[in-house]
Amino acid sequence: MNAAVAPDSTGQTHTAASILRRARRGQLRHLGASSFFLSCHQVAEALVPVTIGLAVDRAVATGDGPSMLWWLAALLGLFVVLTCAMRWGFRANLRATQGAGHDLRMLLAERVLDPRGAAGAERMPGELVSLATGDALKVGMLNYATAMAISGFAGVGVAVVALVRFSLPLTALVTAGSVLLLVITHVLGRPLEHRSAAERAKMAAATGLAADLIAGLRVLKGFGGERPAVARYRSASREALGATLRSAAAESTVRAVAVVLAGGLLAAVTLVAGRLAAGGSISIGALITAVGLAQFLVDPLNRITGFGSQRAQSLASAGRIAAILDAPHAVGGTRQATAAGPGRLRFEGFSAGTIRGLDLEVAAGEFVGIVASDPKEAAALLAVLARDADPETGTVLLDGESVAQLYPDETRSVVLVAPHDAELFEGTVADNIRSAAPGAELGPVVAAAGLDDLEEVLSEGLRTRLLHGGVSLSGGQRQRVALARALAADVPVLVLHEPTTAVDSLTELKITQGVRQLRDGASTVCVTSSPAVLSFCDRVVVLDGGVITTEGTHEELVGSHPRYRELVLA
Amino acid sequence: MRRRPGPSAGPEPEDGLLPKAGAGETWRYALRLLRPRWYLAVLTVLALAVGAAVQLVTPRALGWVIDAAIEGDRGAIVWPVQVLVLVAVATGVFQVLTRTLIAFVAEPVLATLREEVVERALHLPSGAVERSGAGDLVARISGDVEVVTTAIRNIVPTLAMSVFLVWMTAVGLAVIDWRFAAVALLAVPTDLYALRWYLRRSGPVFAAQRVAEGARAQQLLDSVGGADTVRAFRLGPDHLRLMAGRSEEAMDCSFRAMRFRTRFWGRMHLSEAIGVAAVLVAGFYLVRDGSVTVGAATAAAFYFSRLFEPVNMVLMMIDMVQEAGAALSRLVGVAGVPLPEQREETVLTEPSIDLRDVRFAYGAGHEVLHGVDLAVPAGERLAVVGASGAGKTTLAKLVAGLHPPASGELRLGGQPVDRFGPDELRRSVGLITQEVHVFAGPLIEDLRLARPEATEADLEGALERAGALEWVTALPSGIRTVVGKGGHRLTPTQAQELALARILLVDAPIVILDEATAEAGSAGARRLELAAQRALSGRTVLLVAHRLTQAAAADRVVVLDRGRVVESGSHDALVTAGGHYARMWSAWSSNGDPTKGPASSAPSSASA
Repeated sequence: MNAAVAPDSTGQTHTAASILRRARRGQLRHLGASSFFLSCHQVAEALVPVTIGLAVDRAVATGDGPSMLWWLAALLGLFVVLTCAMRWGFRANLRATQGAGHDLRMLLAERVLDPRGAAGAERMPGELVSLATGDALKVGMLNYATAMAISGFAGVGVAVVALVRFSLPLTALVTAGSVLLLVITHVLGRPLEHRSAAERAKMAAATGLAADLIAGLRVLKGFGGERPAVARYRSASREALGATLRSAAAESTVRAVAVVLAGGLLAAVTLVAGRLAAGGSISIGALITAVGLAQFLVDPLNRITGFGSQRAQSLASAGRIAAILDAPHAVGGTRQATAAGPGRLRFEGFSAGTIRGLDLEVAAGEFVGIVASDPKEAAALLAVLARDADPETGTVLLDGESVAQLYPDETRSVVLVAPHDAELFEGTVADNIRSAAPGAELGPVVAAAGLDDLEEVLSEGLRTRLLHGGVSLSGGQRQRVALARALAADVPVLVLHEPTTAVDSLTELKITQGVRQLRDGASTVCVTSSPAVLSFCDRVVVLDGGVITTEGTHEELVGSHPRYRELVLA
Repeated sequence: MRRRPGPSAGPEPEDGLLPKAGAGETWRYALRLLRPRWYLAVLTVLALAVGAAVQLVTPRALGWVIDAAIEGDRGAIVWPVQVLVLVAVATGVFQVLTRTLIAFVAEPVLATLREEVVERALHLPSGAVERSGAGDLVARISGDVEVVTTAIRNIVPTLAMSVFLVWMTAVGLAVIDWRFAAVALLAVPTDLYALRWYLRRSGPVFAAQRVAEGARAQQLLDSVGGADTVRAFRLGPDHLRLMAGRSEEAMDCSFRAMRFRTRFWGRMHLSEAIGVAAVLVAGFYLVRDGSVTVGAATAAAFYFSRLFEPVNMVLMMIDMVQEAGAALSRLVGVAGVPLPEQREETVLTEPSIDLRDVRFAYGAGHEVLHGVDLAVPAGERLAVVGASGAGKTTLAKLVAGLHPPASGELRLGGQPVDRFGPDELRRSVGLITQEVHVFAGPLIEDLRLARPEATEADLEGALERAGALEWVTALPSGIRTVVGKGGHRLTPTQAQELALARILLVDAPIVILDEATAEAGSAGARRLELAAQRALSGRTVLLVAHRLTQAAAADRVVVLDRGRVVESGSHDALVTAGGHYARMWSAWSSNGDPTKGPASSAPSSASA
């Protein structure tokens, strides 16, 4: 029975380049459509000054009425093509961009929520969200830049074709001049980009500071730190202002140089084309066309060079995404459980962190308390049971099978570790409680978790909607809702971690009693140092200094073990 | 727009959000900040006008070249080209001038605005912030400041130049021949129609997009932030479905917005086509009449086609301008809140607390404290216990001066609390909340928020007394380690020891601990309690406790039940009295004495 349970969607390795390829391949249809239509749009844009030139040359200058009508019709036709091509081009373009972003977003989400977890440094949720929105879209933006660059080539092409009919040297001058212009502006602009990045970083630091101060406002008010906080923000804000003003002068100079160069190119083209036209080697229409195109070419050339900088940005984002996708799994295991057992847990020679060679058995149906002197040891124990980590040495057996061999969700369907800092999700209180067991009856678990007073406190009781992780509930209410959810899952082995820290002692007693009754016949492990909870346990195990020092009932230990009294009753 | 317009300059709009300034107030505020730089502002407008006028010469010079070419006069081409070069240089110079001037006028104003907003935000009464949620405030300080900054940096220069260019081009057309200007006006009705069509619909379209993107970010944060919980309960597929749904919705909204935008562009193209055709037709007749030259007619056509870009810029930026205006009014709304006035300083002479018949309600009809009487003599360590929702935290907040009592009398050192200025109150009462926050940045900076002038030795002394010096020294860069968001993550216990160190630095004679150990877990809680007990001895301490060992160690215990004080006395006296507290205590330490607690085999006997 070695069947792999989950298709290994992230089995292949990801690189920045493979992410970019994926973003492109997934959107070929939209990418093709947007490249085509945007190219049509560029051609039409290029033809507008050409058509105006021809209309002046063939109709306005000659006074030929019917010809004027023809040229007007041509111009209007051109506008129809232009507007349709732009409309369809940008719509398809957005589909290509957003589609790729969505695909990567979901790929990331799938990886982050993968049952096998991720090894390595823990990522902040904010960072992951910004990867899944900002960076995913930045990769998608390469599709935008690709279509724009293709359309840029079309624009340059049509301009060259339009000019080459009139004069080869003029074509060379216009093209070479435009390219030179672009190169110079880019070279000038590069140090500017660094400077503006530094400036943005200063501003972002000031904003981050303000947001952090607001987030800690209650704490800040508690010790009266408002004035120093304002002073600190003010100095950050002034620093950002200084950077902005310094870069403003530089930035406007670079922009101005671009304007001057474009004007110079226009003057040069006008001079050459004017002399050719005056000498009769090209028509007046050709002169007007050349002058018009000298101004037009900057846009398509910008589109072409824009691709390079977008690719650099997209590549950086793709690299960040690939790093997340490629992080190794925290735990292994692919086997399916052989059969649903009663839920007997056994640690054999288990070591993790400072825990050394632990042997412990939790019989099916037992209600066991574990007191750990060091919270890190409790965390290490819980991480292995939750399948967030595999034991360093030794094994943990579930109904005789090593949990490290099992696919993590196989273990979790039998052993549920309810995290102490469990998150509640958006939805009603009832939705949250039922999330792991859609059909569960709420009455018994709500009563056992001590939530029966919820109707009094919250206007809509269990139907109250929770926003943003349940911030509208008090700490005690949140903890009890999370407990009710864990109870509703009704698993053979339930592991609770300090389930009652946020409630008063009377409620705590009531809850423990309720949990004990509800879990009758199933295994429950409570990692806690609350005397009220421990007093209800069949057996209490004391983990002190990495080894089990003693075990017994709460009363026995209180009576006979001074260290236990110190740990639990101090 | 998300918020309704209206006479909302008052301090409390009914939707519970923070105040938003009216248009008049926003203008007055902006003008007040601009006043010291009025001469720069005038100079900016002048530079814009001249810069736009200079650019008009280009199409005319091109026209002269065309006329010279038609006449076959090669020599006559040179001087208009020289003019073109001069124009290019002048345009460049004015670009530098206007953009720099705009930055120097607007950026300092913006900096002052954001600083005033943050200052007011930090001084807002905590009631106001709690009603609106900190989210509203953070959104204003990050989002709205960003919107206004972008507007000033990109939109204002482009928009100002475009507007001037449009006007100047109209003048240029009229100079060639007034009839060109007249026919060009044919494009105006379609432009106006396009704009009206756009503005009527753009609000909801873009608002829907913002809402959808916000919902997507929230769902991602919800699922990703709760990844451990999602894994534990095997909710992965459900959450992926939720995220995919939200992401697709946001995508659809952006498609709708793009469809809408491209339809708007189509309408602008229509008016461009009408205008160009009209100018060409006018050129045709005027050239035939001999009123203008072919070169002038070409110049007119180019003048007009040069209008496309600035007009489009103006039209496309209208909604950004609207958005920036709304953001600005939200910022001015906060910046306009008066700072708490500095009263003549009443000085706390003796750290005692006195409450007489104090009542408090968060909303109408939801009274939390129903007449509390309580006297805490100087130097007493008083524990306040009671069930969740009994009003303990509210009581703590009132004493800390975060909320004023609705009625009754609250005295500190014998003086009514409202006689103390905010600074004196801050010096006198320190509060450590259940909420844990470590300020992002070097740890030393976090501590200096409590006392900016403290030396490193002072800070280390405070850390030592808070029981934190050992682990702080062990951090990668010691006291200079970057902690908080984006830095080294501290455990809740460490964070609260830091909070204790801050209070010691403030050196307040009255200290309130509001379930300060709740997040720390049992082992951490004990550590913290011991440190607090040592460090705060001699001060007046109000201790909101749910761990009753804390209460047992206090000088006196007060039991709060549904907003009233029901018991008061020493731990031993209350346990003997057999009331409320005695029941709580026996539940807490049920098996402290093996002879009388409930045995694990008979849990039902434990029901209190």
